[in-house]
Amino acid sequence: MSGPRSTVVAERPSPGEPRPYAFPPFERSRLDNGLSVIAIHLPGRPLIAASLVATGGVADEPDDLAGATVLMARALTEGTERYDAIELVEAGERLGASIHAEAGWDSIGLSVDVPAERLAPALDLVEEILARPTFPETEVERLRDERLNDILQARADPRRRAEETFVRAVYADSSPYRRPSAGLEATVGRLDRAAIRSVLARRFDPREMTLVVGGDLTGIDVPELAAARFGGWQPSAAARAVSATDATPAARHRRVVAVHRPGSVQTEIRIGHPGVARRIPDFHAVSVTGTIVGGLFNSRLNRKLREEKGYTYGAHAGFDLRRAAGPFGARLAVATDVTIPATLDVLAELEAIHAGVTDAELTEARDYLVGVFPLRFETPGAVVGALASLVTMGLPDDELARYRPAIEAVTVDDVAAAAAAHIRPAEMAIVLVGDVDAFLPELEAAGLGPIEIERDPAPEPPTEATDGDAD
Amino acid sequence: MRVPTIEFSDDRLPNGLRLIVAEDHLAPVAAVNIWYAVGSRHEPPGRHGFAHLFEHVMFQGSAHVSKAEHIGLIQSIGGTMNGTTWLDRTNYFETVPSHQLELALWLEADRMGTLLDALSQENLDNQRDVVKNEKRWSYDNRPYGSWWERLLAGLFPPGHPYHHTTIGSMADLDAASLDDVKSFFRTHYAPNNAVLSVVGDVDRPQVRAWAERYFGGIPANPALPVDLGDHSLPPLLGRERREVVADRVPLPRIHWGFRAPVYGDPRLDALDLAGQILAGGKGSRLHRRLVREERLAQDVTLFSMGLIGGPSIAAGWATARPGVDLARLEAVYWEELERITSEPPSADELDRARALTEADELGSLQRVEERADRLSMYATLFDDPDLVNRMLPRYLSVTAEQIRDACRDVFRADNRLVLTYLPADQASGDAEAAA
Repeated sequence: MSGPRSTVVAERPSPGEPRPYAFPPFERSRLDNGLSVIAIHLPGRPLIAASLVATGGVADEPDDLAGATVLMARALTEGTERYDAIELVEAGERLGASIHAEAGWDSIGLSVDVPAERLAPALDLVEEILARPTFPETEVERLRDERLNDILQARADPRRRAEETFVRAVYADSSPYRRPSAGLEATVGRLDRAAIRSVLARRFDPREMTLVVGGDLTGIDVPELAAARFGGWQPSAAARAVSATDATPAARHRRVVAVHRPGSVQTEIRIGHPGVARRIPDFHAVSVTGTIVGGLFNSRLNRKLREEKGYTYGAHAGFDLRRAAGPFGARLAVATDVTIPATLDVLAELEAIHAGVTDAELTEARDYLVGVFPLRFETPGAVVGALASLVTMGLPDDELARYRPAIEAVTVDDVAAAAAAHIRPAEMAIVLVGDVDAFLPELEAAGLGPIEIERDPAPEPPTEATDGDAD
Repeated sequence: MRVPTIEFSDDRLPNGLRLIVAEDHLAPVAAVNIWYAVGSRHEPPGRHGFAHLFEHVMFQGSAHVSKAEHIGLIQSIGGTMNGTTWLDRTNYFETVPSHQLELALWLEADRMGTLLDALSQENLDNQRDVVKNEKRWSYDNRPYGSWWERLLAGLFPPGHPYHHTTIGSMADLDAASLDDVKSFFRTHYAPNNAVLSVVGDVDRPQVRAWAERYFGGIPANPALPVDLGDHSLPPLLGRERREVVADRVPLPRIHWGFRAPVYGDPRLDALDLAGQILAGGKGSRLHRRLVREERLAQDVTLFSMGLIGGPSIAAGWATARPGVDLARLEAVYWEELERITSEPPSADELDRARALTEADELGSLQRVEERADRLSMYATLFDDPDLVNRMLPRYLSVTAEQIRDACRDVFRADNRLVLTYLPADQASGDAEAAA
């Protein structure tokens, strides 16, 4: 069957006149106790996003308390001097407010999304939670046990297993980036209320804290709301400056860590090394480079491994930018039988980027980053998140305003320099989580460097014991 | 708080394409969203997974767009895009800087009109491999990854269009041919089987003019709508079904599945609120009891998924803590489901569920992309795009008694599927014990 033919317009439309866009202006002030306040008026956005962030996060916790910062964030809403955990959650729900505590590598924060007319009582809750948490022992134990169980789950999940193996392969023992941010069994098992109190106390200093509020602020005086609630806060006796983060690489030669999961139908591949810190002079060139290598759909990696070879559902790569050098990594999952060809293709693309990129690639990546910028900031939550991160990274206030011109100024030479400095295939760890026995001879023959193999105990044959009709 | 009313125009081109436009000039952003009324339930036998494979082919080029160029063009103008396939529908969407709206419309029209001009065996084979890797990644190589396949297979009888998942089977994906692509396209990808929604910093008359210019020359398929026949089922499963699965997982998990009222039935609204009260956050009944108080579970869920071609699905799970008695975990979860069928939720529980629902709705509808998707959805499934404004009032008017009654209709022993995942190394003995 074939009906009448379609008539379509062959000629591509050209763009209209772009509407001018600038990152929304914000007002910054400071309370007498040093707490910073940022207010961003976003007309027509009645759902307000508010975030109270403290500089310094997981990377700052002592090694013997690894996991304490994330556990602290999870336990923060388990009760305060005034409310128990259930009363607290109910109080938030009655306001239609969702309150989230979060611990990142470089900050801890408490965020709330709430309709404008209920902002004041929502900030009361934020104040209560951060200033007077009780961390009930029994709830801390429960959350600690949940994390220990989650560690078991992560081990069984090929993706999480690959991520954890990757950071362990990339960073030296001395670096906190070597572990998942929620910590591992050895330290999590002994965390208690005293430990999590101590990590909060380290960071509790109004001079290192910022309240960011965004949305339609018509009739709302943010500095006044902040002063009434947070103006009386004083630094805790244990507050201290954020320590420098060790991001030493585990090695400077290429090597393979293969995790044998018998019967896996796919191999999770991670390839990389420590990348760069967020606050670097060539940040914009690094962003464009990462976008060309593994950020766009038509990036070097995805074009080759998905659209040409069909090896994967998606291949990505990029820089995880933190206060210190977070990882640069390529990530993909491939059918077991193409594990080695796919690994070689990734390495070849990471090498080929050093031969330079074309003007077309540069333009596509720059145009993407510049064009998508306003789309990223459609909602108050996104604007507030970007400003909170700017503060905790120690970046200047005009960083977001000058982002687009700075990206537009990146040249082919800048990309070449960024690639040469920050993408070094000869120093990369290659992590393969899959049915290693199925590709081991091929892996050995590929000569990728020393190979370390972790073997899990073989599972029982996956027989299916089913009794569909039992009663 | 008042969720703002969304004003929109709703009309059709002569070829049947439904065009919905809503202006919002807050941000210089425009969302384009097309729903085609075709999903995995329209797949012929032996071609399970085809609707989704076809969705991938839609990004492989058309008469004036080369392979992967659609995505390349959208990204190079700073846009985002994707396509998704579900049991009842397939959607395609772009969010772009508003001065680039015309390009997004042109791209959608080119593939709706001329996909087959660019179709090649090579591209089909490539995307078949990509989709097989998607299946491995999303289902086969994931702990508990088979639960959705097992749930659908257990709740819907063989031969029913909801018996299989959108990802389908490896064998059927292998069997898909160029001829299948052609006939699927000619049958379903016609303007009179689609809804085009455009939301954001746009001008309605201009959008209408562009829609006519780009889509106006694509002929309707006079043989639509496709009649799948009557696939209604009895509202209840009729008896309990149980299955025990040995998997490579460290912690056992119990999944529950139920047949639920068809999408659009007000009882499903009540069931959504029940999901909030029972498992929405740590103040909810199941979370309090299983995770906090009795510490039997690591996590707990309960939710519903609306379907229009037969019963909907209510489902949930609880992951056991190490060493807990699974029979106890199952019994306590069930006790909480039974409790709500006898005692309606308290006024305070209902107030909190309403406040959260309202805030969620306000949060989701902030984004033009979500608004466009909802307009397309309500127009496609219910011929009623104004539901985008009326769903929230519907939720807010649900009473405690309606929640109790809806739960009573659904959470019944003769309507439940219980799927127990056990760690493979402990499964052999336990599975027999459970039999």
